[in-house]
Amino acid sequence: MTEFLEALIRGLGIGSVYALLALGFVIIYKATRVVSFAQPAFMLTGAVVTSYLTPALGFVLVTGLSFFLSVAAAAIVTALLALVLERVLVRPMVGRAVFVIAIITLGIDIAVRTVVTGYIGIGARPIGFPWGIETIQVLGLSVQIRHLVMMGTVALLGGLLYLFFQRTPFGLAMRAAAFDQEAAMTQGVSVGAVFGTSWALAGGLAAVAGALVSTGAGVDRQLWVIALIALPAIILGGLDSLGGAVIGGLAVGVVEQLVGSYQRDYAPWLGDNVATVAPYALMLLVLLVRPYGLFGTPEVRRV
Amino acid sequence: MRINKLGLQTGAVLAALALVATGCRGGDDGGGGGGGEGAIDAPGVTSEPCPDAVNQDNGCIYLGTISDLSAGPFAALGGPITDAQAAFWQRVNEDGGIEGYDIDATEYVRDNLYNPETHSQLYTEIEPDVLALAQTLGSPTTLAILDRMKEQSVIGAPASWTSLWGFEDNILESGSSYCVDAMNAVDYYVEQDDAQSVMAVGFPGDYGGDGAAGAEAAAEANGIEFAEFVETAPGAEAQAGAVSAIVRADPDVVILGVGPTETAVIVGQAAAQGYQGRFVGLAPTWNPALLESPAAEALQGLFTHAGPWGSFGTDTPGHEAMRTALGDVDPNDGYTSGWAWSYPLKAALESWLSGDYDKTREGLVEAVGDLESVDFEGMLPEEAGDRTQDNDIFRQTVLSSVDPEADAGLTVLQDFTEGPSAAGFDFTGACFEG
Amino acid sequence: MSTTLPPKTEDGSSPVAPATPTDRRAKRTRLWGRPAFFQSYEQQLALFDTWSKRVGVAVVVVVGFALTQVFSDDILRSLALAFVLAIAALGLNMVTGLAGQVSLGHAFFIGIGAYTAAAISGDPEARTIGYGIEEMWIWLPAAGLVAAVFGVIVAPIATRLRGLYLAIVTLGLVFLGEHVFREWSSLTGGAGVGRSAAEPVLFGFDFSDAGSDSMFTRDQQMYVLMLVLLLVFALAARNIGRSKVGRSFAAVRDRDMAAEMMGIDLPRTKTLAFALSSFYAGCAGGLLYTITGYFDPGSFNLLLSVQIIAMVLIGGAGTVSGTIAGALFVAMLPTIVRNLVAPNLTFISTLPSETPNVFQVEQILYGLLIVVFLLFEPRGLFGIWVRFRTYWKSWPFSY
Repeated sequence: MTEFLEALIRGLGIGSVYALLALGFVIIYKATRVVSFAQPAFMLTGAVVTSYLTPALGFVLVTGLSFFLSVAAAAIVTALLALVLERVLVRPMVGRAVFVIAIITLGIDIAVRTVVTGYIGIGARPIGFPWGIETIQVLGLSVQIRHLVMMGTVALLGGLLYLFFQRTPFGLAMRAAAFDQEAAMTQGVSVGAVFGTSWALAGGLAAVAGALVSTGAGVDRQLWVIALIALPAIILGGLDSLGGAVIGGLAVGVVEQLVGSYQRDYAPWLGDNVATVAPYALMLLVLLVRPYGLFGTPEVRRV
Repeated sequence: MRINKLGLQTGAVLAALALVATGCRGGDDGGGGGGGEGAIDAPGVTSEPCPDAVNQDNGCIYLGTISDLSAGPFAALGGPITDAQAAFWQRVNEDGGIEGYDIDATEYVRDNLYNPETHSQLYTEIEPDVLALAQTLGSPTTLAILDRMKEQSVIGAPASWTSLWGFEDNILESGSSYCVDAMNAVDYYVEQDDAQSVMAVGFPGDYGGDGAAGAEAAAEANGIEFAEFVETAPGAEAQAGAVSAIVRADPDVVILGVGPTETAVIVGQAAAQGYQGRFVGLAPTWNPALLESPAAEALQGLFTHAGPWGSFGTDTPGHEAMRTALGDVDPNDGYTSGWAWSYPLKAALESWLSGDYDKTREGLVEAVGDLESVDFEGMLPEEAGDRTQDNDIFRQTVLSSVDPEADAGLTVLQDFTEGPSAAGFDFTGACFEG
Repeated sequence: MSTTLPPKTEDGSSPVAPATPTDRRAKRTRLWGRPAFFQSYEQQLALFDTWSKRVGVAVVVVVGFALTQVFSDDILRSLALAFVLAIAALGLNMVTGLAGQVSLGHAFFIGIGAYTAAAISGDPEARTIGYGIEEMWIWLPAAGLVAAVFGVIVAPIATRLRGLYLAIVTLGLVFLGEHVFREWSSLTGGAGVGRSAAEPVLFGFDFSDAGSDSMFTRDQQMYVLMLVLLLVFALAARNIGRSKVGRSFAAVRDRDMAAEMMGIDLPRTKTLAFALSSFYAGCAGGLLYTITGYFDPGSFNLLLSVQIIAMVLIGGAGTVSGTIAGALFVAMLPTIVRNLVAPNLTFISTLPSETPNVFQVEQILYGLLIVVFLLFEPRGLFGIWVRFRTYWKSWPFSY
């Protein structure tokens, strides 16, 4: 039971990272109806920028604080980068076929990721997370502090996003644009600003996710692969549901960790490394029952 | 639906005509750009000096490099290996070159992205212009060109230590394989600490799988328990299964065949969950950056490195020359490996040019087969370069322990050692199952 | 779109003339310089409906064969690879360009084909599964058929989903498939090892084996083989596109509910699209690795799927010629960047440890060229052709 609960908490921790990434995908999708494949690059950018900032800030600040400030700064830097890339390379494509735009985001991903990877150097870069992989005892379970931090971050950022979308005028404008772009435009909403903001938000969220996921072993070149695991999470939750993204992300994390811990004992015939593909299997199962994910809006079709 | 018959007929006739016309070229690129003197008839050898030559009077021998340099998974290794090899041949040239030739290993460097199709394509591009390959990185990638290397008598230095290379005449491997390293590590801990059980954790295939096969063979030879081979996937978050398997089985020795990131995660988390046994990492598990990772403490306590030669800071003339040649770089054993892998190629070129061999690629292959020893300047024993015997597998491993003070974080724990398992093992093919 | 509707004349009637079975001459003759004027449905659906198309195709084919004399082996080899990728892209074009279902699962079907072909043709003595039947006319259709069967198996899930849901679910297929390929080492050789590919032997003639007395080099033979196969597959794709099946695909793409109203069975049509597309992918998979001779399970990843979808989109979705052009463009892009663009950037370091170095720049350019290309011509290469054609059609008047 202890082992089960510990795996569950690990899963919720990792799942929080997937949730952040999934939120980014969903925010962009809601605003622009495009799945942005540039998220892996932003995730890596956030991690690399953090790894450079933390030691620089570490001289003037207490450890711990410097890490969180660096993550915040990296999120802002990445958000700005996303904003610029959206404005220059994606905005001109508004109204074009969504898959053409998706391929453009993919080209952006290749280019940005290659540049950023150049700054990782020949080793894994330490991220400067103050607690490393230390564990603490919570109710008799040993829990890694970093997993708690991940959960806390997603709770905090999720709450802030909720306030932003529900309580601020611009959040309302974004919701309006997501609902009906033309109607929003006639009401004076700057749809261009909505597009830009959605990319900036998604870039910032991915940057935080990248920094958090590097707390275990530092930033390495293959880190971006994790962003692809957020894809089943968004489908699971439903492409246009922010709450669904969080729940989908957490579910994917938990399933991955539970399968990783127990599959060898209960279903060894599946082969090794099943945990890495378990999220996709879960996604297929859910879609068989609910073709628009758990919380997605079924598309209304008219002739 | 009726197909336009006229169009089809015309097309067929035209195609046939074109096919006949195609016959005119063909078979015209044997030999390639041979030397001007006519003495050496091999591609990639010219009497012109190299670009930016050290010795303007020397001819030039071009060596190709196909490595993982930008976006592939092993780019963190490919870069240092390639740099070290450039420095190695630069030093050879500064010492006057080889028998009137300078060696160029920088003109034909290509990035394979660790993809066999790309690797094969790049090989086709550079093969007519190079004599041999200074580096061909990766197992599936090298296997994709091996048949043609044999056909075209191209030799190449690998950039991996899989046991498969011991059985390929065109591959100039140096040092012990993962399989041998794992055997010697198990033997060492059976002797030193009376280890009773072994487990292997690694990526499947040519690397982790190779080490696991060695560990299993050594466990059998020593009559101790081999718990299991836990296959794992790359990625920091994909190691939960491996960690829980280690903690549950609690073996005395765990042989690791993963990347540095996975090493940090597995060692750190297993230690955090109370595991107190011994981790032995094969050559590519180590990276000095691990000392700055959260797992540094656990690594210092539990980790031993089993590799083919001493780490970056080891005190041999070869290591010393490498450090001098590279100048101010972050110490990393990618450099050490790139440097060490170049010695057999240098020895082969020397004996090919000075000895009584056909001055063709075939002659070079013959010269490689006749190598009895290679001067590794102390990085490896001379007999490690012996390629004359049928069973020319080199079976000595260097064990190193983690030392934050050392150049690349490792100091020698046990210099070249050959345990009874490796000594008594009959190598008949690659250790790993594929 | 390959089948444009005939334009209405001013009085609202269709310009399609009533065609009687005896009126064969009228069906053949087309009005000179009026490519959009059709006198019969047969004309409109003809394989090469205008004289200039016939000549154009003939010229391209002849030039294609003549290139064996012009280019060196390494370029022929890239081109041969590009031709096979074009076959795969033609398959994706059927499901994406014609039937409008975006699939990111193409790499999976390519993998199925590659392993089917390799297993049938493989050496029975080798460590991996092999049945020693080297004849291509056996393993090539088999590779396609097995992949098609998987396409049919997947279709029930796929027909329930639309748009991005479908894209990401088919992406899941790639990950699941990659996992199986890695684990099933008796078939695939296992991750990081791989196995030999199928042998391109046709009626006893081994295209991959150029003996010393041969007129051709190995790469010339493989090039010609792949070119011929591409022509065969392209012709078939064109025919499928103009058949009842192809037109029902287009109807589903344009408005699936409207298509349903017209009596097109949606699940059946989508299943057929997936089956045909997978058949092409399977055949391409079988052929792809005969050029390299060796492949490992890591090849069938998201990157391959994405590369092929980029080919279809850059080509301009829906047309056979556009898809082939797109495939050649995307497949040759790394070679072009490496050999033509990168060497001119002499100010960039060639030392891999320095940043930026030339290898990073190659990657960056590869990404950026795709972006820039689509930015300037979102309709793809076919869009450029349309603009070019329109320009000359209206020349000297620019509007």
